[in-house]
Amino acid sequence: MGIEGIGARVLRKEDRRFITGKGRYTDDIVERDMTHGVFVRSPHAHAKVLSMDTAAAEAMPGVIGVVTGQQLIDGAVGNIICGWMIYSKDGSPMKAAPWKVMDPEVVRHVGQPVALVVAETRAQAADAAEKIVIEYEELPALTDFSKAMDDGAPQVHEDVPNNLICDWQLGEEAATDEALATAAHVIELDLEQNRLVPNAIEPRAAIASYNEAEDHFTLNSTSQNPHVARLVLSAFYNIAPEHKLRVIAPDVGGGFGSKIYIYPEEITCLWAAKHLGRPIKWVADRTESFMTDAHGRDHVTKAKLGLDADHKFIGLKVETTANIGAYMSLFSSATPTYLYACLLAGQYTTPNIYCNVKLVYSHTTPVDAYRGAGRPEATFVVERMVEAAARQLGVSPAELRRKNFISEFPYQTPVLMNYDKADLHGLLDKGLAAIDYDGFAQRKAAAAARGKLRGIGFSCYIEACGLAPSKAVGQLGGGVGQWESAEVRVNPVGTIELLTGSHSHGQGHETTFAQVIAERFGLPTDNVQIVHGDTDKVQFGMGTYGSRSGPVGMGAIAKALDKIEAKAKKLAGHLLEADENDIVIEGGELKVAGTDKKLAWHEMTLGAYTAHNIPDDMEPGLSEKAFYDPANFTFPAGTFICEVEIDPNTGVTQVVKFVAVDDFGVIVNPNIVEGQVHGGLAQGIGQALFEACHYDDAGQLLTASYMDYCMPRADDLPNFALDHIETPNPNNPLGVKGCGEAGAIGAPAAVMNAVTDALGTEDITMPATPEKVWRAIQANRPAMAAE
Amino acid sequence: MELTGEHRIPAPRQRVWEALQDPEVLKECIKGCQKLEKVDESNLVAKVQAKVGPVKATFDANVAIVDPVAPERYTLVGEVKGGVAGFAKGSADISLAEDGDATIMSYHAKATVGGKLAQLGSRLVDTTAKKYAADFFEAFSAKLGGGASEAETGAAPADAAVSAAPAQPNEQVSDVAPTGGGVTSNPYLWGILAFAVVILLLIALA
Repeated sequence: MGIEGIGARVLRKEDRRFITGKGRYTDDIVERDMTHGVFVRSPHAHAKVLSMDTAAAEAMPGVIGVVTGQQLIDGAVGNIICGWMIYSKDGSPMKAAPWKVMDPEVVRHVGQPVALVVAETRAQAADAAEKIVIEYEELPALTDFSKAMDDGAPQVHEDVPNNLICDWQLGEEAATDEALATAAHVIELDLEQNRLVPNAIEPRAAIASYNEAEDHFTLNSTSQNPHVARLVLSAFYNIAPEHKLRVIAPDVGGGFGSKIYIYPEEITCLWAAKHLGRPIKWVADRTESFMTDAHGRDHVTKAKLGLDADHKFIGLKVETTANIGAYMSLFSSATPTYLYACLLAGQYTTPNIYCNVKLVYSHTTPVDAYRGAGRPEATFVVERMVEAAARQLGVSPAELRRKNFISEFPYQTPVLMNYDKADLHGLLDKGLAAIDYDGFAQRKAAAAARGKLRGIGFSCYIEACGLAPSKAVGQLGGGVGQWESAEVRVNPVGTIELLTGSHSHGQGHETTFAQVIAERFGLPTDNVQIVHGDTDKVQFGMGTYGSRSGPVGMGAIAKALDKIEAKAKKLAGHLLEADENDIVIEGGELKVAGTDKKLAWHEMTLGAYTAHNIPDDMEPGLSEKAFYDPANFTFPAGTFICEVEIDPNTGVTQVVKFVAVDDFGVIVNPNIVEGQVHGGLAQGIGQALFEACHYDDAGQLLTASYMDYCMPRADDLPNFALDHIETPNPNNPLGVKGCGEAGAIGAPAAVMNAVTDALGTEDITMPATPEKVWRAIQANRPAMAAE
Repeated sequence: MELTGEHRIPAPRQRVWEALQDPEVLKECIKGCQKLEKVDESNLVAKVQAKVGPVKATFDANVAIVDPVAPERYTLVGEVKGGVAGFAKGSADISLAEDGDATIMSYHAKATVGGKLAQLGSRLVDTTAKKYAADFFEAFSAKLGGGASEAETGAAPADAAVSAAPAQPNEQVSDVAPTGGGVTSNPYLWGILAFAVVILLLIALA
């Protein structure tokens, strides 16, 4: 590694502008003649729209127009799609009801947009929005999705009986039942995945404009994947063909999945920009984000784990109901199915696994992929079951895991995944050493002396990321390929522009991607400019989610660099009168191995562009493109161990120690990887202890601001002890696996295993708030006193 | 959502009951009240501008009275719509109890709240509701007995409502009584309905 190459702790290049307020986010952009849009939203979870009177609003000062859902339908704007087809166990396709951009007849969740008011200023639009008179006929709402399939439950969509979208399964049910029937021990738990709000620091925003002279649209938007946005806006929503629509995602402040999707707001603003003849800016306020950004998780699960007399896992049966919300968002079908059940083997050799997932509608905001997307849910099931098993059998949770670890790779699980390589024992060993596992009993006693309940919990996760081999995705029902593209443009003076289809909204690509180039050619990272997030500049891209920018995005960069390197060597060989195979590139120079003959990098690049002396069969210039389709998912794995202390008087849980040992394969920038792990752990701890999205029985969202939705804060978190094992990914050009979600995937189970250990009961749900913990202590009091 | 409250008004029950008959008095006691109109003997509509934290809107109230037992108790059913600010609907049981020379008004309301009012939660709006209640009873007590409602401690004189009232509280009371006596058919319901607006507003804000 050079000082700025792979593995170097290069400071994030983008931070300079971010921390000095010089980032350029969508809301910072001002277009000529720009107007402002405010959406009118349903206050009801379920209602018929009987009438809508926009006349008073249209007469308000500064108002340019009001756009209604019916206008969009009349304008042939298409319905919002779900991009992944799954099938019920009887072979029938999932029942995805139409999602009209702004349904003019029925509202199905609080916050559903029903009209857009466009005015000269945002304040004028907001004032006019209040003048729109809508008469609703309220209908019964379904909020408790565990009752979605009950007889007489309110129906979210007419054509989806019992609100059941899909009754999906994976694995062998009969074999799993048989294994459980013969098991020496069967552990059963009811588990819940609390509903989460994504909470990107920058709310969603869009500026839509239409150039009549060129019949061309431009959308500036907070997108994680601008090309995908353009694709669906063109192919499904009929805004404009791709060559007549440019989508730009400038600096974007976080997404966690919620900015993958193309929402009603962007679609409506684009249509309205042409209809009203003015650019329109819409920026969500925080409560709009709470109401409309796709939420995450929200499962209820019954799980059974069977063990033989020797404590080997022999069967795992998981039955989950997953809340999809009022409409099927883009990946909503895949998140609780293939991204979930395929990970239920965890790190273990469990030979029989069966998972049934019932995807149901409810009168709530759509639910889709949120940091981890299915894998946190799977890890939670597996790791809570394993920990509960160890407790019920009275054995060490570490040793029970060790006994069941997969130790030979590659390993084909019973749930589709083929794990390539991992060192599970090594991860656990490092974790146990880092937490000082042997000293726990002493720490617990010391805590007891202080009146505190101390608990320890493990979470040994393995996840599948680096989405994904396109063929596999296609076979599983995915509507798009999941390769990535890159273009490396070497300028005549030797500096480089890297155009990538990945999109950075916090991941630090401007730093890590430049490091990959620095590593290859020995150039300083300052000589590299990363270009992303603009469909007019970048050839194509699938964007950033599912920890894919490292393994897939950088894979594409590596492939483009291969082509650059080959041409550079050929040209250098020609200029130095040597064999191209004898050319080595290092330290910014091209050298003939074993001689003192060399060319500076910029001499070679200038030569490529002057083209005065290049091989006869060589094209001038030095610019290469590549598409990279990964051969497999990547499988980061790790051991997390958490220790908590609970104050029995207040029920407050404090995370006092947290060890995370991860295997992300080759690490390009340890600073950035550690930052990703810190952020993921904070979100995972947030899910376990603080965060919960609540609806009341009428479907009203009660947590729609930071007064009611509790986010983790710095003082809720311990100093994380991080460590790594680097097992290079054998299927990746750079050996990387992806690190963006691991923290959020593994942490909830570790925290809840620690909390339940401290409390001596499995019976507590996330988030383990002080109230719930205190109540669990009270309920358990006789048992604890008896111990 | 539930809301319970109790206020001691320094006036006899009959006088409190009667004081509830003057629409102008009530309108002045309800902060931000722009309109108070009787539809029939048991229905009323009102328009009140209210602000709670970031939610500011004009609420249209629609209230009906159920099972009145004069001058002791009654039940209210109604809804308040605030457009983009949200809505509230529900019912309230209200009773007037004699307490020496004074009257204790208590209410227990149940409501469902929707839209921004629900989203922004009770933590913020609870204090606003208390302020609304304080303001109403302050003004109402001032009109009746010239003294402060005793449910609050150290309450400042209610601003807009009180300043609109005459400086001499006793004169105001003498104004009220004849008005109340002048209503013959089902004399009490009208005022009760007006009070319901306050209750519903409290529900909406609580």
